[in-house]
Amino acid sequence: MANPFRLPMAPRTIRNLLSRPATRRYPTEIRPRFDGARGTIKFDVETCVYCMICARRCPAAAITCSRDERYWAIEHLTCIGCNVCVEVCNKNSLSMSTDSKSVHVRAEVGPEGQRPGHEEWHGVAPQPVVAKA
Amino acid sequence: MKRTVIPFGPQHPVLPEPIVLDLILEDEKVVDAIPTIGYIHRGLEAMVERVEYTEMGFVVERICGICSFMHGMGYCLALESIMNVEVPDRARWLRIIWAETSRIQSHLLWLGLGADAFGFENLFMHCWRMREEILDIFEKTTGGRIIHSVNRIGGVKRDISDSELVAIVAKLDELGKAFDKTARVFASDASIRHRLSGVGVLSMEEARAVDAVGPMARASGVRLDTRLTGQNLYDQLEFEPVLETAGDCLARVVVRMREVRQSIDLIHQMVEKMPKGEGLPLETKVRGMPSGETFTRLEQPRGEVVYYVKANGTKYLERFRARTPTFANVPAMIKLVKGCDLADVPNIILTIDPCISCTER
Repeated sequence: MANPFRLPMAPRTIRNLLSRPATRRYPTEIRPRFDGARGTIKFDVETCVYCMICARRCPAAAITCSRDERYWAIEHLTCIGCNVCVEVCNKNSLSMSTDSKSVHVRAEVGPEGQRPGHEEWHGVAPQPVVAKA
Repeated sequence: MKRTVIPFGPQHPVLPEPIVLDLILEDEKVVDAIPTIGYIHRGLEAMVERVEYTEMGFVVERICGICSFMHGMGYCLALESIMNVEVPDRARWLRIIWAETSRIQSHLLWLGLGADAFGFENLFMHCWRMREEILDIFEKTTGGRIIHSVNRIGGVKRDISDSELVAIVAKLDELGKAFDKTARVFASDASIRHRLSGVGVLSMEEARAVDAVGPMARASGVRLDTRLTGQNLYDQLEFEPVLETAGDCLARVVVRMREVRQSIDLIHQMVEKMPKGEGLPLETKVRGMPSGETFTRLEQPRGEVVYYVKANGTKYLERFRARTPTFANVPAMIKLVKGCDLADVPNIILTIDPCISCTER
């Protein structure tokens, strides 16, 4: 039977009292992402030739593309961020952005308008990103 | 005696994921438990019929957020064996390095959850703080913290440079030292012993009878580990599975703690033995459509996982099936819950390391 008066956690706890916290104060202190980390898809309308490879290869069917209408759209909430579209794009029109503000959360608009802080930290309500040339 | 039925779950403070156990009690003793699953079924296995086999690997990874790398790896190994693809050496080594790293993060996550279940919240936070460092390694090397998406049929998408591998090993050594201090708490704290020692004992015979897998079986002294088959280059490593004989909740904690140290040691050996150099091939181009069927076995952090893949010569697979370790351990869990006190049920359920997302897919 272990000694109930032994406190193996105590030194650690005392040290924690004197050291800085392991967590960050999120909105004011944002964790830097590493190089090459995956994030949300960014689209460059200037270089895209609407070949539709990205739409065909997307495992989540998040990308809609039409060659005739010169139309490209992504549903960010469906996108699983697997990087397949970025890899298959011949014209480098697609890239991954690690911008941490671009989390899209469905906005709830009440009678008084949007919730405070919503615009600042969650971007705008999720509209499919549409590009038309 | 009058019987009482208490529904345990789907929402319960100790359960990270939804599972229901209808506990039938006589006084404070559990006499029977009836499990119900089906709360997070997503139909991932049926998705193979409409997602191309090359892209399905990224979906398979999303079966579970903890063993995500191993799921992707298992799927790719199955397809590679159907299509007879020779994977470059460095890619094979990189795969098992990532696999062992994900075993460390899974065990750290579980140790934290276990600590939370027996009411030691401070320890829970320490374990998860250490896990953050592993997630940083993942983000640096694969691009994602939880979902890595580096496995592709024929190899891996990203390389880890030799200097970075050395840095990772140094970081893991540092983590190992910090982990030893935390492990000492698990081993010597009186309250932990009081809650776990002698609770939910699964003998070796019982473990064999209910076909327990992974740390659950090894804590009962069953020498069962898919890595022992020597596949995926494990035959080139010095490896002996961690065994405990007590079979109680504490033994299952100890097995997982020792496996964290073992995985760090294995990564050391892997980095020493893998082919070094810049620009080594990482991928074999895969051509054509798969045709045939195969089984693949892998040792995930929670135990043995089996994948069955059947392909019919088109770009869509005919059948994909994953038998996950939690599914194999549910009979053992039900066996342990019968006869224990109601207060011990959360600990027993947690010590099988349940992953309901895996089980239901």
